[in-house]
Amino acid sequence: MLPKPKPHSALIIAGHGSTVNPDSSAPTFDHAAEIARRGIFGEVYCAFWKEEPSLRQVLHMVEADEIYVVPNFISEGYFTRTVIPRELELTGPVTHRDGRTIKYCEPVGNHPRMTELLLHRAAVIAPGIPPRETSLFIVGHGTDLNDNSAVAAKREVERIAARGLYGEVLNAYMEEEPLISKWAESAKHPNVVVVPFFISDGLHSYEDIPVLLGIAEESPGAASATAKNVFTRNPYHLRGRSLYYASAIGTEPMFADVILEQVAAFDAVEPASVFA
Amino acid sequence: MNGITEALERWLRAGGREIGEVHIQSVDSGWELRHRLDEPRANLIAHTGAEAARVLAQYTDAGEFRPLKTAPNLRRGWLLTIPDLGELRRALDYFYPAMLGVGVSYTLGTLVPVALRTTLARQTGMYRVTQKITDTQAQQMVGDFCRSDGGCLKHILWPLAPGEPISTLPAEKFSPEAAPATWPLLCHEACNLLVAKAREVVKKADLPS
Repeated sequence: MLPKPKPHSALIIAGHGSTVNPDSSAPTFDHAAEIARRGIFGEVYCAFWKEEPSLRQVLHMVEADEIYVVPNFISEGYFTRTVIPRELELTGPVTHRDGRTIKYCEPVGNHPRMTELLLHRAAVIAPGIPPRETSLFIVGHGTDLNDNSAVAAKREVERIAARGLYGEVLNAYMEEEPLISKWAESAKHPNVVVVPFFISDGLHSYEDIPVLLGIAEESPGAASATAKNVFTRNPYHLRGRSLYYASAIGTEPMFADVILEQVAAFDAVEPASVFA
Repeated sequence: MNGITEALERWLRAGGREIGEVHIQSVDSGWELRHRLDEPRANLIAHTGAEAARVLAQYTDAGEFRPLKTAPNLRRGWLLTIPDLGELRRALDYFYPAMLGVGVSYTLGTLVPVALRTTLARQTGMYRVTQKITDTQAQQMVGDFCRSDGGCLKHILWPLAPGEPISTLPAEKFSPEAAPATWPLLCHEACNLLVAKAREVVKKADLPS
């Protein structure tokens, strides 16, 4: 369900950003540009913790009195619960300040449609490959630093498995069991599809996971510009399987729809806030 | 409604031509933007539309990522044609994120500077340690990191602490007034890059010598 047009409201998509990796904020900017193009909101902006516009600057860009903030994060956690509310000076799901109403939506990764996006991405990167003969891996980071991302990845695996489309659906992590480096031991099927459950591409998706899968060598310095080619060489034939490797799920253009759906979901839960 | 696009239009009509390192020129088809030092050059690579500004602002001439868009290292050699005012605002928001809105808030008296100590006191997680930075370390850090030649073009509106101004940069660095025909780049609160730098300073000082 997409929200009704809100020509007098603004949307802020809040992301993490990076001071070293331009690909970190790129999907957030892409989704914002797509949403702006559709004209659903009067204004659409990005804001970042580590890039500009910052969470401390962005409210000065906004002209509308009603502002929706959607965190472009894969799960609830430190950034969505602590950093974003603190930096935007939010007092709860609905904040009234200086004649404005700021509505703080759930992070994108929490939306039930994430399951569809993962299925879509898996189908697109392995065209014509029968899902019944495929092991699908959803790869998360898997440390406390990333808060609930491992829990979110596990939830998605359960949802996809419940649909009974794939031969098997498996969780894997970079730094904890079940380790993605052991994919060949755990996968039962001749085809293997691997989708990183990350909000953007970066060293993890360009290099760390490919190295753990055995489809790339560790680079001596920072990941090179050619590292993106790792997504274009499917299928990889190794360990007796055909392996298909996707870029981070957050780069999926359909993410723009999920951002909008989080706004609609907020309105469905907090209709009274309009009159508060 | 604070009328940012209208403020931009008024500024252009009054002869406004520069924001940071970007020069803006009114032409029949809208506006032409280029690096201000490229003005006389003819062999510029042509681009069109606001989205191109995002790419142009992203890397230095040497191909390095520019996480701080007000760093004085905008690449050269391009000419960006923008058809209308709405697109111009979007393009300028890519070149100098939030600087139009922050400038308007300053004019309206709604921009509240936040002292560096207040910003650091708010930090949690890996940046909580920045609260340990000494006044001397903080003064040196700001004097180096925020300097206009090689650091950041913004003018600083915040003190180290209430009543304790930054003493390591020239007086004009703290003036909210911009040169004629220039949109001001204003810093009302330390950015995350400076907070991250403060962490580095504290960590380095904590190392056993």
